[in-house]
Amino acid sequence: MKLRCERDVLVDALGTAGRAVAGRSGALPVLSGVRLEVTGDHLTVTGTDLDLTITVSSMVNGSVDGVVVAPGRLVTDIVRALEPGAVTLETGDSESGDEDLRITAGRSAFTVRTHPAGDFPRLASPSGDAVTLPAEGLSEALRQVVRAASGEDSRPILTGVLMAAEAGGLRLVATDSYRLAVRDLPGAGAVLSEGQKVLVPSRALGELQRLLGSAAGGDVELRLGQHDATFGTGSVALTSRLIEGEFPNYRQLIPASYPNRLVVGREALLDAVRRVKLLARDATTPVRIALRPDGIELTVITTDWGTATEDVDAKYEGAEMTVAFNPAYLIDGVEAVPTDEVVLDTLDALKPATLRPTDSDDYLYLLMPVRVS
Amino acid sequence: MRLVIATCSVDYTGRLSAHLPTATRLLMVKADGSVSVHSDGKAYKPLNWMTEPCTLVEAPGRWVVSNPKGETLTITIDEVHAEVAHELGDDPGLQKDGVEAHLQELLAANPGSLEAGLTLVRREYPTDIGPVDLLCRDPEGRAVAIEVKRRGEIDGVEQLTRYLERLDLDGRLRPVRGIFAAQQIKPQARVIAAARNITCVEVDYDHLRGLDLGRLTLF
Repeated sequence: MKLRCERDVLVDALGTAGRAVAGRSGALPVLSGVRLEVTGDHLTVTGTDLDLTITVSSMVNGSVDGVVVAPGRLVTDIVRALEPGAVTLETGDSESGDEDLRITAGRSAFTVRTHPAGDFPRLASPSGDAVTLPAEGLSEALRQVVRAASGEDSRPILTGVLMAAEAGGLRLVATDSYRLAVRDLPGAGAVLSEGQKVLVPSRALGELQRLLGSAAGGDVELRLGQHDATFGTGSVALTSRLIEGEFPNYRQLIPASYPNRLVVGREALLDAVRRVKLLARDATTPVRIALRPDGIELTVITTDWGTATEDVDAKYEGAEMTVAFNPAYLIDGVEAVPTDEVVLDTLDALKPATLRPTDSDDYLYLLMPVRVS
Repeated sequence: MRLVIATCSVDYTGRLSAHLPTATRLLMVKADGSVSVHSDGKAYKPLNWMTEPCTLVEAPGRWVVSNPKGETLTITIDEVHAEVAHELGDDPGLQKDGVEAHLQELLAANPGSLEAGLTLVRREYPTDIGPVDLLCRDPEGRAVAIEVKRRGEIDGVEQLTRYLERLDLDGRLRPVRGIFAAQQIKPQARVIAAARNITCVEVDYDHLRGLDLGRLTLF
């Protein structure tokens, strides 16, 4: 295998595919590597940990077709450290008979041991019919929903994002049992047939969100297989296994109506919560919100550090009360609302509250209060 | 258990010679006769010790501990600061899987956390192949056998299946359905459980213990 291309092209491809490379390769050392394949002037770079696979395609100046699996992090670090300009990758036999990868640029030359290419797992081609989603809309929906998924492997179902057909559109749902985010994408109903639903790992969708965030406009091509989902955007294909299991019945958690409604400026609330949160030195200290007709008062009380309070102008209709939330979860929810003002609906201090935008019902963030004395 | 805090020096002779210069230390004499010398540091390891069988001969200002191998620990005591003796009795030993036993205990106290309306009949309900962790009745009066594991794997489902077969032979209980409860249940175990109409329930240990007091959850 031999190719020549600009350093930055290679850095992008290796960096993107490398995000799927297994951190700890465990029983399969080859998974710590990235697979590079040259066919003509076409380079594909693939990284996988068997749950998540990212493949990047790039145009290069290919001289010799071939495949090599090289240590992912090492090769990425080497290429990133090279002087800007052309880089040449070439495989060759080492003195011991194994295959090495030679990386040269300017006056720099590295020779790197490789993994046997035959050990790299055979990855199935994307299955299912392709449907297209607007990248911008999907990226925003992922930004709003992925944050509510659980990061704890002890409950694997909650580490996923539910994608379900809903009223002719696509609905994304995630929950970690303390909060729940629901986002509807109207008009994206072709992705799933009515009643169909899949559970995609939030890690994969977080990576997709990163990819979409760096791409301007365009579409995302989605293929759903029986056990996996593949998202294609530009020159990158991201394949994730699906999570098997029954997602919690989230519909029953969403109250039909609320007697109390707060409307508050999004940035003003965010700034105030971030300030008083400075005193919440651990993850369990809540922020208390006193809801009054003339506005709200935020308070954080800690035995060890002291007290912080801040008043924020707001419109409130309902019974005066104090409700407390995990400040990080509250910030996550307020950040995800796209409008200048945020609606906070409450039942009482111990029942789920809902954050939503002022102008649409497309997004909902259900947040469980924290019990305080 | 006899505990003596004393300013002392210690000399060991046997396979080698070792000397601890004068300092204040804790001397521990256990019911089995073993003697150990501790400093005020480290979690468990004594500075010097003599395991049983050994003999302690006490003289004013001097303890001599010896064993049949000819090793000798000589403790020269300058001053005794405190001394206490207490009968500890038999120790139940280390429970290597205390979480699993505690889970069973917590679920027995609150079977409704597994399924609404469950009431406990008995913990460790006996069958002729061993006891099932919990036997309950649901609101319709049907018997429910519950196997509790820390990690829910195929073996646990197989175990519950065998119990269900045995319990179904009892006309007072038949038909018995099963619940497989664990902190985390592997996908393969879920598949097998579903094929056998066994309900899988993942339980939150901290929640059952009340350690997440104040952290209300949506479900």
